[in-house]
Amino acid sequence: MRQSTLPRAARPRPAARGRARFGRSAWVQRRDRRGIWFVVPFLVGFALFMVVPLGYAIYTSLYTYRIIGGTSFTGASNYTQTLESGQFWSGVIRVTIFAAIQIPVMLAIAFFFATVFDLGVARFGTAFRTIFFIPFAVPAVVGAVMWSFLLEPQFGPFVHLANALGFGGTNFFSPSLLLPTIIVIVIWEWTGYNMMILYTALKSVPRDVVEAAILDDTPLWKIIVRIKLPMVRPAIVMLVFLNTIGALQLFTEPQILSYFEQGAVSLNYTPSVYIYNTAIAADETNLAAAMAVILAVIIVVISGLSFIFRRQRGELR
Amino acid sequence: MTRIDAQPAGAAGAESRRQRRKRRRDAQREAEIPVELYGLPRGTVPFLTSLAFLFAIFTLIPIAWLVINSTKTQANIFETFGFWFARPFDFFHTFSLLFQNVDGYGTFIQWFGNTALYAVVGGVGATALAAFAGYGLARFRFRGSQLAFYLIIAALLVPVTALTVPLYLAYAKAHLINSIWGMVLPSMVSPIGVYLMRTYADISVPRELIDAARIDGAGEARIFFRVALPLMVPGVVTVLLISVVAVWNNYFLPLLIFNINTKYPLTVGLGLWSDRAVNSGDADLYPMLVMGGLVTIIPLIVLFLVLQRYWRGGMLLGSIAN
Repeated sequence: MRQSTLPRAARPRPAARGRARFGRSAWVQRRDRRGIWFVVPFLVGFALFMVVPLGYAIYTSLYTYRIIGGTSFTGASNYTQTLESGQFWSGVIRVTIFAAIQIPVMLAIAFFFATVFDLGVARFGTAFRTIFFIPFAVPAVVGAVMWSFLLEPQFGPFVHLANALGFGGTNFFSPSLLLPTIIVIVIWEWTGYNMMILYTALKSVPRDVVEAAILDDTPLWKIIVRIKLPMVRPAIVMLVFLNTIGALQLFTEPQILSYFEQGAVSLNYTPSVYIYNTAIAADETNLAAAMAVILAVIIVVISGLSFIFRRQRGELR
Repeated sequence: MTRIDAQPAGAAGAESRRQRRKRRRDAQREAEIPVELYGLPRGTVPFLTSLAFLFAIFTLIPIAWLVINSTKTQANIFETFGFWFARPFDFFHTFSLLFQNVDGYGTFIQWFGNTALYAVVGGVGATALAAFAGYGLARFRFRGSQLAFYLIIAALLVPVTALTVPLYLAYAKAHLINSIWGMVLPSMVSPIGVYLMRTYADISVPRELIDAARIDGAGEARIFFRVALPLMVPGVVTVLLISVVAVWNNYFLPLLIFNINTKYPLTVGLGLWSDRAVNSGDADLYPMLVMGGLVTIIPLIVLFLVLQRYWRGGMLLGSIAN
């Protein structure tokens, strides 16, 4: 259909161009207005499944259900109860520590390998990149189950290994080692994905810039630190940002580990775990709604600030 | 003239795909700077290769463990060396248990079907909505289009937990607990998908081509399906991949909204088995848990290997990175 109408289509154009500018722009405007129908289906879903639930959460968080007296409006009391409880904040502090360790370590490994593969200074780069990416296809639940088996205190092969190496009585699920254990699991899950993104970003660094530096006898480490790193900075900032949002919501790994070692993971281990236990196990849905809103505010404030910061620096279109 | 030139180029794309891929590969090889030019000390390449090898081992260890232990009996999983096989070879027996409702906790194969259903319907729906919206935002300027775009960016910042709990509360009110729609419909709303599709449509669909089609008298819907969509295919596949994986791996939402095990997806089912195996003394669930984990990850790993060139091509969030 396209080819056959082409010559005919070309003909009326001079006439159209001759039309008054005002008329044409009105036509363009009318045409552009129709574009909204492409966006409407998404916006309906967006309203129904993101805006409405958030609104409902705020609404319901203002009420409290009591066995005697039923549901009554209690204003901000769920919020003050959450903000004053050390339980909620201990979870927030824990995920902050988690993020502060896990994200830099993971990004350092990811950037290291992305650079190595980008420069081509290791063999079998393609195969390694594929292998590193595999955990992205593994659901966090399965990842956590596998690592739970591997690290299990009585039978896990890694405990045998630790014993053989002279670290007798190592328990990866003990309170002092639980957080590092979760950090290792999450690093296992996400390093390959982050590496792929950094690798892509590094590939877009123009070749002649690097060549010029080589001709100037610039040492390789300087090329990496002075040329490559600054050029992929926006990608790194974006990854820090996405990983932080993810880390603050940590849920699946501690939840699955709690099945394998009851008592190792407290009911308020992370804010998400706490919200889940408050909503389902304790059936205090109004309180859980308030917690969810507070967690959302914390995350939106953190990410919103970094967003504004980056816009000011012109790092985001 | 450009308007006329642009069309045959689009139409001819299919036949020379293989040549184009070869040319691209050659160009990439040419773009790589020979390692010798870096002036590295000898032994650097073997050293870095072995570091990559170590990390590959770290990556593959749990998966190797899963494959090996899927062949073992429950006793052998705990009593024999984790990284080697042991008799009896129990693979097929355990595999057959995935088709039965063992101990009344639910049938694995049903969970598998549920996950496939949720992932396909949710993923395809998310991709379709994202392709429409991304194209609309990239190629039309209507009142509120900027606002809509900022809303979608803002939605990227809202934590899933904070949306899921309220969704659960709203479902409880609307009697949508245990409803398939309660799982599928929210999965179709993917702000990151829209963001990626908008970026991709912006770079891959020339305005001139759309204008030419309009002058031909084609309607906007026809232009989208016949002109724009074929050009957006690589981006669409990438978003489809991300969306399917997101639903396949989702744990929190189904954990909250389903409380009968016939509706569970794989993630919730396996979570339930871990809990029961450890805490209710149903030790016979251990081999099934291992086998179930293996069967859960195989489809996605295969999907990724088959569709390698899409995420390898760097579109996976690559547009954000730039």
